[in-house]
Amino acid sequence: MSRIPSLRIGGLSRRDFLKICTIATATMGLPVEMVEKVAAAVKSSERPPVIWLHFMECTGCTESLLRSSHPPLARLILELISLEYHETLMAGAGAQAEEALKAALKKYEGRYICVVEGGISTKDGGIYCQIGGRTALEIMREVGEKAGAVIAIGTCASFGGVQAAAPNPTGAVGVSQVIHRPVINIPGCPPNPYNFLSTVLYILTFGHPPELDELSRPKFAYGRRIHDHCERRPHFDEGRFVESFGDPAHQKGYCLYKVGCKGPVTYSNCSVVRFCDVGAWPVGSGHPCMGCTEPNFWDRMSPFYEHLPKIYIPAGGGIRAEAEKVGKVAVGAAAAVVAAHAAAGVIKKAVKSVSGQKSSEE
Amino acid sequence: MTKKGKEILYRRVFVWSWALRVFHWSFALSCAVLLLTGIYIHYPPITTKWAEFKPQYLMATLRYYHFAAAYVFMAAVAVRLYLLFFGNRYERFTDFLPINRRNLRSLWQSLKFYLYLTDDHEWRMGHTVLAGTIYFLLFLAAIVMSLTGLYMLYPDVSWISKMGVALFGSVQMARFIHYILHWCFIFFVIVHLYIAIWNDFKAPEAIISGAFSGSKFMPADVKED
Ligand code: HEM
Ligand code: HEM
Ligand code: SF4
Ligand code: SF4
Repeated sequence: MSRIPSLRIGGLSRRDFLKICTIATATMGLPVEMVEKVAAAVKSSERPPVIWLHFMECTGCTESLLRSSHPPLARLILELISLEYHETLMAGAGAQAEEALKAALKKYEGRYICVVEGGISTKDGGIYCQIGGRTALEIMREVGEKAGAVIAIGTCASFGGVQAAAPNPTGAVGVSQVIHRPVINIPGCPPNPYNFLSTVLYILTFGHPPELDELSRPKFAYGRRIHDHCERRPHFDEGRFVESFGDPAHQKGYCLYKVGCKGPVTYSNCSVVRFCDVGAWPVGSGHPCMGCTEPNFWDRMSPFYEHLPKIYIPAGGGIRAEAEKVGKVAVGAAAAVVAAHAAAGVIKKAVKSVSGQKSSEE
Repeated sequence: MTKKGKEILYRRVFVWSWALRVFHWSFALSCAVLLLTGIYIHYPPITTKWAEFKPQYLMATLRYYHFAAAYVFMAAVAVRLYLLFFGNRYERFTDFLPINRRNLRSLWQSLKFYLYLTDDHEWRMGHTVLAGTIYFLLFLAAIVMSLTGLYMLYPDVSWISKMGVALFGSVQMARFIHYILHWCFIFFVIVHLYIAIWNDFKAPEAIISGAFSGSKFMPADVKED
């Protein structure tokens, strides 16, 4: 489109533009020959109208997308799409904003991409999250049903996020739980902006959504295990582990498995695409992966510095026993019972042989 | 009952087919390897200095043994599941689950026997119902171990990831269940070994050698009900 001049695209230099297209193409797992095709799709395709909804969240996903440390990426995303409604970025507010949403829904019905950031409250009719007097649930259903495609950005929109953590007072859930249509999940807390950009570019280039995994995450971004693409993996295989933060093993960059790294159970491309255009990622900087792209990560991946979640099971009188400890107790009890049982057998035999002398027949 | 000075004739009865015995020993050995390596995987002790001194791929090797034993384990479980339905009379689930009157009576009888409330040993060709029920629960645990293990090992295989998400939700939950259930196996091994030895003392059935030879001994005049 003519809105993107051939040399300076959305204020980007051609060099930056091609660089971003190349990273995005690589993120999609496509060969370098495809860069041209992706770049062409960016330039030629109609800018898809986007309605961006915010629900229960911290706006961290938007913030990380706009990160000023590498503005070219955000600029490209904002040039690539035609943002019709975005509470954080748009100028209008109040009734004016509501009007804008209504107008966009009407004008682009069935064509717009609905991007959702944040979880949705479902308890008590969803009254815990309301915008302009309407519940998030209601807005989501209306905007979601009329959209051409729905993308859930961030772990909150994908799986409920922090507000869905136990005891989940507001009944928060992810988008796919409240609308009856396929949703593309881009989880992460926050997700890597490249995963969002690449998903949108994929749709523009090929005209259909990328291949998704069982949890509706694009396979190109969430198809690999952190642990299998981690630079500390040789230390894991060798059995060289950090025992506590700051110890000599930590200083030498050994594996973070024993300080709770969730890399072995987490699917994301963090170790490959990395963050903020400076090649950084948590494990690289000495912090264990927290498993932020997985469902229920606040409940299941915490304590973040331990290997397994602490799941409580009721054990009499309202006392909560750690499920893990029950196992240890049961095995200890088994050993004790076995010993007591053997002793009882010996005693019984002794008693019987004494009394057996008296009444010789049974 | 056996009494001093009185001779009792025993007959040898064949109970366990070769398939069941192969199952038993491959299951027992693979369980031992899986437990030892699994405990290391769960909490590798401080070997860092040692591993710096001499590279040896400790974790990689033990994981490899875990997975190799896991295949033996899963094959053994598959054989046992087949025998539950198509094995000989004593190997089928109908012989040792508390699903009819005869078996319920046996369950009560073994409970009394183990609590030293009676000395009447129950002459059964196959498992007692108490033992059989525990074995059955262990087979169920073994299936869950295999499914959670497969999900951790091959999350990229389409049917496995479908199964994993449907049953466990996420790999972390599968890992948690896999870990919690490993206690059942430790528990079982302790009790099982004790009970096998205890029974060998209490009754001259020769059940332990039966686990190798397939046959047990019963008093010639006792008929199984
Ligand atoms: C040296 C060690 C062992 C000995 C002497 C032994 C002995 C026996 C004997 C005598 C039986 C038949 C008991 C009956 O009639 O009820 C049996 C059954 C069984 N044992 Fe073991 N056992 C050993 C180790 C293990 C281990 C380590 C496991 C697994 C954790 C195991 C799992 C089983 C199972 C599942 C059965 C039921 C067989 C069936 O019907 O499928 N055993 N064992
Ligand atoms: C009696 C049977 C088994 C026992 C007692 C056992 C025990 C364990 C234990 C204690 C762990 C460590 C869990 C943790 O805290 O992370 C583990 C990990 C694992 N097991 Fe098993 N396991 C058994 C069977 C299997 C089977 C049948 C499979 C596979 C097909 C399997 C595959 C795995 C895998 C993939 C891991 C994760 C290894 C890793 O994170 O590096 N296990 N097992
Ligand atoms: S640091 Fe984490 S992801 Fe990396 S090898 Fe160790 S356990 Fe795996
Ligand atoms: S390394 Fe783990 S915790 Fe960190 S962003 Fe990636 S998936 Fe989330």
